[in-house]
Amino acid sequence: MKLGLLAMAAVAAVVLAGCGSDDKSAVTSSGSGGATEAKSPDSLPLVAFAQANSADPWRQQFDAETKEEVGKHTSEFRFEEQPAEDDASKQIGVIETFLVKSPKVLLVSPVTVAVQSAVEKAYDAKIPVILLDRGIPGDKYTVHVGGDNVDIGRQAGEYIAKRLNGKGTVLMIQGLGGVDAADDRRNGAMESFKKYPGIKVIMGDDCKFQRLPAQNFMETFLQKGQPFDAVYAHNDEMAIGAYQAYDHAATKPKVKPIFVGIDGCQKEVVQMIKDGKLDATFRYPDPGPKGIEIAADILKGKMPTDKKVVLPTVLVTKETADQYLKDNPNLAK
Amino acid sequence: MPFSAVTLRRWLPLIQKYQGLVGLVILLAWALWKSPHSEDSAALFHSTYYTLANLRNILSQLAVPGILAIGATFVILIGGIDLSAGSLLGLLNCITATWLVNGGSTPMTIAWVLFLGTLTGAILGAIISYTKLQPFVVTLAGMVSIRGIAFVYTNNANISGLHDQIAFFESPWLGIPIAGWILFATTAVGALVLSKTVFGRRVYAVGGNTDAAYYAGVPVSRVRIGAFAINGLCIAIAAILFTARNSSAQPSAGMGYELDAITAAVVGGTALVGGYGNVLGTFVGALFIVCLNVFLILDSVSYYVGQGWKGVIILLAVYLQNLGRRV
Repeated sequence: MKLGLLAMAAVAAVVLAGCGSDDKSAVTSSGSGGATEAKSPDSLPLVAFAQANSADPWRQQFDAETKEEVGKHTSEFRFEEQPAEDDASKQIGVIETFLVKSPKVLLVSPVTVAVQSAVEKAYDAKIPVILLDRGIPGDKYTVHVGGDNVDIGRQAGEYIAKRLNGKGTVLMIQGLGGVDAADDRRNGAMESFKKYPGIKVIMGDDCKFQRLPAQNFMETFLQKGQPFDAVYAHNDEMAIGAYQAYDHAATKPKVKPIFVGIDGCQKEVVQMIKDGKLDATFRYPDPGPKGIEIAADILKGKMPTDKKVVLPTVLVTKETADQYLKDNPNLAK
Repeated sequence: MPFSAVTLRRWLPLIQKYQGLVGLVILLAWALWKSPHSEDSAALFHSTYYTLANLRNILSQLAVPGILAIGATFVILIGGIDLSAGSLLGLLNCITATWLVNGGSTPMTIAWVLFLGTLTGAILGAIISYTKLQPFVVTLAGMVSIRGIAFVYTNNANISGLHDQIAFFESPWLGIPIAGWILFATTAVGALVLSKTVFGRRVYAVGGNTDAAYYAGVPVSRVRIGAFAINGLCIAIAAILFTARNSSAQPSAGMGYELDAITAAVVGGTALVGGYGNVLGTFVGALFIVCLNVFLILDSVSYYVGQGWKGVIILLAVYLQNLGRRV
């Protein structure tokens, strides 16, 4: 009897699983039955988005802004998104599975260049492909929307050099090695620093774009007692980590150094700038809304004329922090 | 009562033996009912799920996790576990890509990578056999070290610039990608080794009861090394197909793949305690998981909700397996 009960529990679990899925479909179909909608969602064209991951703060804000833009077009198309946990192989699988559903527009935020062949397959099947953020080699895509990390690095370098009046030592905390964003942000800044003979740069460790490694590195660095006037981190998370180490350190420079990061996608960072803990960040623009806008245009028959759309950065300082928060309600926490 | 304990007891062993298949059939029926409607006349039952394009899609996604899972089955059958599979896949991915980019000949590169994979597996097996350390610990150490070697080997950079040297693995033959055929062949050979050879019977003997096997004269250490070497070979095959599919390499590639392989084996009816299961079951288990992934995307289920269901399914599979044995 005990065996029977256990087995029934197992069967019940399967049935429950079935019900779970039923509930979901019930929601969808009641949506399609709604009188307010002119067309049922199923008959709308599909816009599919293969996201690299949905976990880090920048991607969270990216997703939130994308969904907000999608909300303006609910009567024009259906939207589906799948993340790939930063696994290129997984993303290839997602793209190829999307192709089975024949989307009218495909958006891809590539994990690495490895997804090139999958993107080209879609493009060859006459599906317009919009690349968001990172690009791929070749020209088999419709349009690439993203920020310009070299230019952001250049502006950050310029900002720091000006704040130091052209004279001082900058500690640079590096992003993950081998990643374009880290190389570009370093090279851009170095271009600007080279114009100021009084600026010296100390190359810090690779802190993988993460807060904790940057904090550990900074704690160790401060032990050395080597003087510096500014910290330039390749992203905000590392700038925060570096600041926290500085804040808690027993031995530190007499004058508070300047802390500058990049990304500007978290409320926490903007708050720290308002509080005078960090000095500035440069927004790494999120390509989601622009990508959705272009997708909507394509569905109306308006193909984009440019192959590359570069989104501008925004400098956030104590003076502009409040306005920035108002302009960007979807920042990650 | 819909069924009595007696009828259940009669059917249970059958369900357990083919539990992966039972799950797969339920999933496929469910997909038929739920997947989006297709206008394509070539689609069976007017379902996007039952199209040739989706079959190809499933098979190209299945090759790498499927072959990894077959290797994992050998290790699990002897009562072991391999946590280093994902790291080794990443390292061999980097080695394959680097050699091909630097002008290595394709057949030689493939041969060397297969050899390196087998050798690494055998070394892990030997360490486990001669130190008597638990496979969990040894392969955990392997996972960390091999990942480190991959980062050192590539100098922490991605490798791209492969010309189409090994792209043929992705192209179809008789409608199915060659990678899919390699998976079929690996499964068939694995099944034959387990059921028809002395080594195969010894694998079950060592996994079922190591002491009894030892006293019966089975060379336990050699069987262990053999099982880990086969696992290493499977990882190498998977790494070559992985490189072909991504046409690039990343030192971080394959993170967490060892768990997918173990999951496929477990869902396919292989017992984690060893001595029970087979590669056909694992093949079905891997197929089930890929079919489920594809179904969840086609049915627009949120990725994270899908993950939640996968956990429930794993638990259910293991539970079903243990059901009869408690009685």
